[in-house]
Amino acid sequence: MLNYIFNPKTIAFIGASEEPKTVGSGIALNLLQSKKKIFFVNIKSKKIFKRKTYKSILDIKEKVDLAIIAVPCAVVNKVATECALKKVKGVIVISAGFSENNNKERENELKEILKDIPLVGPNCLGILNTKNNLNASFAPFIPKKGNIAFLSQSGAIIDSVIDIARTENYGFSKIVSFGNEAGLDLSDYLDYLSKDKETKVIAIYIEGIKDGRKFLEVASKVSKIKPIIVLKSGKTELGKSAALTHTGSLAGDSKIYSSVFKQAGVIEVDSIEELLLTAKTFSFNEPCLNGVGIVTNGGGFGVLAVDYFDALKIKVPKLNEGKNPFDVLGDALADRYEIVMEAMLRQKDIHCLLVIQGLQIMTEPEKTARIIVKLQKKYGKPIIASFVGGESFKKAVSIVEKNKIVNITEIKKAVKVIRYLTYEK
Amino acid sequence: MNLLNFKDSQELFKKYNIIIKDTDIFNDKESVLKFAKKIGFPVILKVFSDKIVHKTEKGAVITNINDVNELADVYDSLDKKFKDKEGMMVQKQFDGREVVVGMAHDNTFGPIVMFGLGGIFVEILKDVSFRVCPLNKKDALEMIKEIKSFEVLTNFRGKKKVNLNKLAELLLNLSKLALKEKEVVSIDFNPVFLNEKEINIADFRIIIKKNA
Repeated sequence: MLNYIFNPKTIAFIGASEEPKTVGSGIALNLLQSKKKIFFVNIKSKKIFKRKTYKSILDIKEKVDLAIIAVPCAVVNKVATECALKKVKGVIVISAGFSENNNKERENELKEILKDIPLVGPNCLGILNTKNNLNASFAPFIPKKGNIAFLSQSGAIIDSVIDIARTENYGFSKIVSFGNEAGLDLSDYLDYLSKDKETKVIAIYIEGIKDGRKFLEVASKVSKIKPIIVLKSGKTELGKSAALTHTGSLAGDSKIYSSVFKQAGVIEVDSIEELLLTAKTFSFNEPCLNGVGIVTNGGGFGVLAVDYFDALKIKVPKLNEGKNPFDVLGDALADRYEIVMEAMLRQKDIHCLLVIQGLQIMTEPEKTARIIVKLQKKYGKPIIASFVGGESFKKAVSIVEKNKIVNITEIKKAVKVIRYLTYEK
Repeated sequence: MNLLNFKDSQELFKKYNIIIKDTDIFNDKESVLKFAKKIGFPVILKVFSDKIVHKTEKGAVITNINDVNELADVYDSLDKKFKDKEGMMVQKQFDGREVVVGMAHDNTFGPIVMFGLGGIFVEILKDVSFRVCPLNKKDALEMIKEIKSFEVLTNFRGKKKVNLNKLAELLLNLSKLALKEKEVVSIDFNPVFLNEKEINIADFRIIIKKNA
């Protein structure tokens, strides 16, 4: 049912405009970049970007799959009624001025008008599908193709994330700004993405969940198919009467959301940076069992890593041949890394590696990077690289990253990401 | 606020296999003494009333009563002090480690259950865990192990590990109750005593909807 939202053949954009720096022209220009058949609708204009415009969607003779509405909120419902008459197969309402603005009535009316048609929004940025180059939003540009789907309650965060990802080596399959969820809600998108071939991992930013029980049910199912990573802001509310018992008064914070995420098998992170880093890691790697091998050329890095792993209850199993963390020592050339990494990757209770390298006189960063790439391919177990330094490691980092191995300079962050990648049987 | 009375609470719990052992409520001294002899000393005596929310703070709970004479005296003094009551609750003095179990309704997720250790762990440290109903056994065991002070329930200072299965069972039964009994707003079992063999609910409080 969401297929017409992400893969429409024909699109009508109601509220198109030529005026620079407006939502109307932003979306119009974005749409023109796709190879879809686009119809512009504007009650006033005769031509927009040299294309014919229609006064109403009802004046278009062809069938319309997707209608995008970005008109003043007072006329949204009138326009939506015309979309329903036109029998469009999906609607995105960009316009704000609904329940978020205390106008619940207008939102209910919209819901009623489009009750048989999938509805994204209102009050949203729109949707993006990299597969068919569809940018049905006013996000400034379309990101690289990739296997991360991103769902966000905040449009602004989508814009920033797209820009952050520009210089990164991961990409997106679909991006949805879901707004007020008057029609489709978070769980509907999760359900759709669980079956989407382009999507391997789902990242979410939310402030609150509309239908909690539906989310628990759907997310529990989807998380068994694809990893779901969530960044949640804000607190939950509890009925006043419940505060009379301990249970009631203690539940009045974000603990409930965190519990729900655990129960549903959803990974909760606590910053935008972590959300993207974790999504990237899952984009390149499969989840693994608990047990990490650490190789380092500096004792200090190893001790730090063990401290962090220990606090997060990640096992650092003893090596059959040597210690874990294994300190290859400061004079280690790349071949020593290779021997130790191979021994670790062969061991059954080691499911993931953290390979740390600091800069010493003998260090061979690029050679080490190539060994990491080679062994990762050979053994298939996730490897996180941690080249701790700056300029001197630039080449090495670009070698691993090009080969879809995540490099995280800060060991604490690397450990946290490995924790998220780990599941218990 | 609507506190459910003792008899109705006990009826409700029974439907979900939640048994309040060695505990009963009476309105006369003879029955209290008789019941105490039956369950064995030491016992505790509590005034049960929907007017008293904080029983301990109001002096409505006397613990560690060792014989019939002492019990008779305690009965007389409490009976005089608290006129407006449902009855006197006699209960065996349970031992073990104290935990708290409860349920409430969340606006977004509906019925939830809570678990934590008793006393300062719940009051000050707020070291508790939650799950949304329905729970399965895995959820129950996970939420028990999730609290920071979980080790207190294991082989701790010479004490044996408590019976976690009995605790999980209580959480599961409470989850069933929470999903079915729509008029129940929230429940506290506080304290609940756990030892290596059994689980005993020492006190409970059920809040029901105003018009139920």
